[in-house]
Amino acid sequence: MITLLRLIQSLSLLLLLIGTVTAEHTSNWAVLVSTSRFWFNYRHLANVLSLYRTVKRLGIPDSQIILMLPDDMACNPRNAFPGTVYSNADRAVDLYGDNIEVDYRGYEVTVENFIRLLTDRLDEDVPRSKRLGSDAGSNVLVYMTGHGGDQFLKFQDAEEIGAWDLAHAFGQMWEKKRYHELLFMIDTCQANTMYTHFYSPNIVATGSSELDQSSYSHHADNDVGVAVIDRWTYYVLEFLETQVTSANSKLNLGDLFDSYDESKIHSQPGVRWDLFPGGESEGRLRTVVDFFGNVQNVEVENANATEPGSLKEDLAEIARLVERWRKRDEEYSAILGNSSQHRRENEPSESVHLGSKMTEGPTRMAEDNSWGKRLVGLSVLGACTAIWVAGSILGRSA
Amino acid sequence: MVDWADGKTCRPVFPLEIHVAAPGMQSSESQHLLRTTQHALDDLNEFAAHHLRLKLTNDTSTAQQSDDSSEVSNNGEEGPDTALTVRLIAQDGLVVPKAELHADTTQLDVFYPPSQVPIPSSSNPPLSVFIAEELQQLYGEEKATVAHILSGEKSGLDSVNPQFAESISRRLRRSMKYADTYHLSFSLFTPGSEPSSWDIEAAVQEYLAPLLHAFAPISNFTVDTQVQLYATFSPMAPPPVYDEAEAAWTLKKEDLSAFVNAAEWPLNPSIGNGPTLNFILYVPAPSQAPMMVKENRAFSWIVPQWGGVFLLNPPLSPADKGSNPAHLSQEYLRPAFMTFSHQLLTLLGTPTTPASLPLRLQTLIRIRAATLLLSASSTMGSLARLTESLPSIPIPATVASSVSTTLSHLSATCSHLRSGRFNDALATARVAETEAERSFFEKSMVGQVYFPDEHKVAVYLPLLGPIGVPLFVGLMKELKRIIAGWKAQRRAAA
Repeated sequence: MITLLRLIQSLSLLLLLIGTVTAEHTSNWAVLVSTSRFWFNYRHLANVLSLYRTVKRLGIPDSQIILMLPDDMACNPRNAFPGTVYSNADRAVDLYGDNIEVDYRGYEVTVENFIRLLTDRLDEDVPRSKRLGSDAGSNVLVYMTGHGGDQFLKFQDAEEIGAWDLAHAFGQMWEKKRYHELLFMIDTCQANTMYTHFYSPNIVATGSSELDQSSYSHHADNDVGVAVIDRWTYYVLEFLETQVTSANSKLNLGDLFDSYDESKIHSQPGVRWDLFPGGESEGRLRTVVDFFGNVQNVEVENANATEPGSLKEDLAEIARLVERWRKRDEEYSAILGNSSQHRRENEPSESVHLGSKMTEGPTRMAEDNSWGKRLVGLSVLGACTAIWVAGSILGRSA
Repeated sequence: MVDWADGKTCRPVFPLEIHVAAPGMQSSESQHLLRTTQHALDDLNEFAAHHLRLKLTNDTSTAQQSDDSSEVSNNGEEGPDTALTVRLIAQDGLVVPKAELHADTTQLDVFYPPSQVPIPSSSNPPLSVFIAEELQQLYGEEKATVAHILSGEKSGLDSVNPQFAESISRRLRRSMKYADTYHLSFSLFTPGSEPSSWDIEAAVQEYLAPLLHAFAPISNFTVDTQVQLYATFSPMAPPPVYDEAEAAWTLKKEDLSAFVNAAEWPLNPSIGNGPTLNFILYVPAPSQAPMMVKENRAFSWIVPQWGGVFLLNPPLSPADKGSNPAHLSQEYLRPAFMTFSHQLLTLLGTPTTPASLPLRLQTLIRIRAATLLLSASSTMGSLARLTESLPSIPIPATVASSVSTTLSHLSATCSHLRSGRFNDALATARVAETEAERSFFEKSMVGQVYFPDEHKVAVYLPLLGPIGVPLFVGLMKELKRIIAGWKAQRRAAA
C-alpha cells in the first residue's frame, strides 16, 4: 500500500518534470522542394538552390539534405550560361557549383514521392540518400516553393498536394516520432493557406502570402531572360546570408520573422505559432541555426582522465580483449593448421580442383531449336504474303 | 495495441540473478549470509523494476565458462542468465572486507576476514551490508539508465544526483538509435598525396574484430574503408593555429564541429539499410604536422550520433625535409584503432561503470531490450491511432500479420524479461521492433491523396449528374402516376 502511494507520488512528480523539461535536438535535416518545371519557373529552382547553399554553409551535410528539383535549369538549352544557376542578376555565386547532390529529380518529384519521403513509406531498396532518416531528436526544415493556390500546391503541372495531405503527412511523422521540432516554410501564391490544417505539435510554419495574394518574383536577369528569385525567399536569404554568418549565430526565429518587410515583399507573410509548445513567446527563442544549421556538440576525449568509462580505461579493456582474442585465434589457427596440414598430406589435389570450379564464367544462352523457330517465322511470313497476294488478286477481279 | 503503447500490458522488470559461491563457509553460514544480504539489498533498492536476486552456488567454474557474453545464452532455456558470480574468499590479515571485480569476466571476488563470518543469530552482519552495497554500486548506473528509459525524459530515481542523471541522458543522446545492422566506415583523409596506403585490413582484424564479435548478440556490423587524398578543409572552417608553447598546430574546441568538411568529403556511403558510423583518421600535412586540440591536447573526439575523428601524426620521414610516410603500418594505426574501438563503444551506448567489459555488454543488452520493447510498443500505439484517425488509408493484410508477429514477440520479450533471460529477451525484442517498423512503414499504406469531401463532390458531380437527372425525373413521374392512380381509385370508390 505504501509502495503504491510512493509510486503514485513519484509518477506525479515525473509528469510535472516532463512538462517543464525541453530536451535539445540531436540532428538536423532539411527537405528542400521545388515543385515546378519549365524554363519560366527558373526562379523556383533558384530559390531552392539558394537555400540549399545556405543550409550547407551552416553545416548540414549532404546526407541530411533532401533536395527535390523537378527540372534541370543548368542544362536547359535556353540557358545562356550553361551549367550554372544564379539567383541574382549580379551572378556572383553559381548555385549549381561543382558539388550538389540532387536526391529527387525530374519526374521523380511527385506528390506521392514527397509524401512517401516524409512518412518513410518507401520500398526497401530505396537508398538511404533518398530517405528522410530523422528521429525523435531531429529538427527538420521543410521548404517548398512552386505555384499554388488556396490550400494546394501544384506539382509539375500535373498534380497537386493539398493542405490536408501535408497536415496528415506531418501528423504521421509526429506519430512515428520522426521530428523533434519542425520549421515549415513555403513560398507560393496564397502560401499561408497551406499550413492552416496542420494539427501535430512542435511545428512553426511560415509562408509568403495571405489568402488571395500573389507571391511575386524579386527581379529578372536580362541575360538569363527570366526572373531569378522570389521576393520572400530573397529577403529571407538576405537575412540568413548577412546576419547569420556563422554556425554559432545566436539570432533566433523571432529576429528572422521580424525582418519581414511587407513593403519590400509586396505580400503579407504569415507565421503560425500555436502548435508550438509555449506558443509565440517560446518559439521566438529558437535560434535560426536550430533549423538551418547542424548541431554537433563534439566531445573531445580527455587523454588523461581516469574515471570509469574514460578513454584510458576503455583502451585498457579493449587491449585486454584484443589480447585474449589473439590467443584464442592462435589456438584456433594452430588446430586448423594441424588439420589442414594433415589434409594436405592425404589429398593434395583437392584445392586445385576447387580453384578450377571457382572460375566459372558466364555461359552462352542455349540455342536449342533456333532452326525450328526460324521455320515457324518463315511459314507465318509466307502465309501472310499468300493472303495478301490472294486478297489483291480477288480485289482486282471484283 | 494501444494497451501496449500505454504500458498496460507489460511492466518490464529486470530481475538479475547473481550467483554467490562461498567455498570457505559452512552451508548454514552461507545460507544465512545470503538471506541477510538479500534483505539488505532489498532495503537499498528503490526502483522496483530492477532488482538483484542472489542464489547460492558452489560451482566455481561458472564464471570461467561465461566470460563471453555470447555464451551466456547457452544455459538460457530453462533458468535465467547469470549476471554475475560473487566469490567469497576468506583472507587472513584483513580488517574490513574488500571487493575486486575481474576486468574480463563476470566475476566479483569479495575478500573477507574470517572473523566476520556472520553467526546465524546476527540480524544485520557487516559482511552482508558490505556485499549489498558493493552490488548496489556496481549496478547503480544500469539501474538509473533503465529507470531513465522507462520513464522517458527525466530519470525516475529521486536519489540519483542531477549530475549523474545529466551524464546518463547525455550518453543516451549521443549514442546511436538502435539498429539491427550498423555500417562502419573507416576513412583515411590527408591533405597531401601521402600516406596513400594503410594496413587497414590487418588493423581491423586485429583491433576491431574482437569487439565486434563481443557485440554479436546485440547488433551486426558491416565495414568499409576508403583513402581520400588531397582532402582540404572547408573554406568556412577556421584553420589550425600554430602554438609556440606546444610546438604544435592546434584546433580550438568550438571549431571542431566544422573540422569535417561535410560538403566535400565523401562520407556516409549509402550502403546497406543500417545507419553509418563514420571514423575518420586524419593525417595532417607535414607543414601543419603535430596537430592537436588546443584545450586538452587530445587527438580524438566524438561527434554524437555520427562517429569519431582521430588526428594521427606519424613520424615524418627525414628524406626531403619531412614528408608523411607513404604507407601506414599496422603499428602506427594501433592508437587510432584503439580509440575508434572506444568511440564505437560510446556511440553504441555502452554504459561506463562496471569496470568489466562483459558486464557492460550485459548491461547494454538489458538497456537495448528495454528500449526496443518501448519503441516497438509505441509504434503499435501509433499505428492504432493512425488507422483510427485516417479511415481512408488502405491497410493490406501483411500489416495485420506483421502486427500479430510484433505483439506475440512483445509478450515473449516481456516474459523473458520477467524470468531474467535477457539474451532471449533482446532477440525477441529485435524481431518485434523489425516487424513493428515494417508494419508502420508498409509501402502500400500511402493513400496517395486524402481527398477532402468537397473535392469528392466536385469530381463525381459531372459523372453522377447526367445519370442522376433522368433517374430523378423518372422517379418523379412514377410517383406522380402512382398518386394520380391512387386518387382515381379513391374517386372511383367514392
